[in-house]
Amino acid sequence: MNTQTLAPHESMELHEALNFKTLCLAKSKLMQGLVFDQELKALMQKDVIQSAQQIAELQAIYARAPFQAPVPNSPTPITH
Amino acid sequence: MNTDYLDPINSLNMPEMADMTFAMDFLLRAKEGVRNLSVALTESASPDVRALLRNHLKQGIAMHQEITELMIRKKWFHPYELNEQYQLDQLSAKNTVMIGQMNLFPDDTSRKGMFDRIPDEHIGGHKA
Repeated sequence: MNTQTLAPHESMELHEALNFKTLCLAKSKLMQGLVFDQELKALMQKDVIQSAQQIAELQAIYARAPFQAPVPNSPTPITH
Repeated sequence: MNTDYLDPINSLNMPEMADMTFAMDFLLRAKEGVRNLSVALTESASPDVRALLRNHLKQGIAMHQEITELMIRKKWFHPYELNEQYQLDQLSAKNTVMIGQMNLFPDDTSRKGMFDRIPDEHIGGHKA
């Protein structure tokens, strides 16, 4: 079961979950440079660490999407 | 309404107001995450996808609780004193609309001259 290809609708949910989580990670990371309260900053850093872990787990399962394709090693996204 | 961003009156209580705004954004993200995951969970069939989403949902609920407790303790959020919350809502809306009317970034913000290549060069830059 675990190596089976995902259904299209599940893949779409994972696409949305992954992108939402990616944006949350980016915001929690960037906003740490703007907050004054150190407790709020610490909670945002906890969110960064937790989000990175969740993104890794989402990516592992998203790899079974029917439209999966080889991803280049470069961290720079494809913009063209 | 004051639209002069150089007026020192605007720096009064600025850190608290900024933190309250960032915390509110953080809270709404956590809340939206919980709702999104709940919807995703009821749209999935594979056992391992469901297990993953349920696990993330639990973490999301716990994070939402932590943010809520922090905000209540800091008096940035008053879920029980609704008069207090009403005042905060109206004041932050008013203050943010005022900020929205300030000309904070009057210069060109493209910053394209800072890069070794012109961004979007491969697609014809701004003409694309």
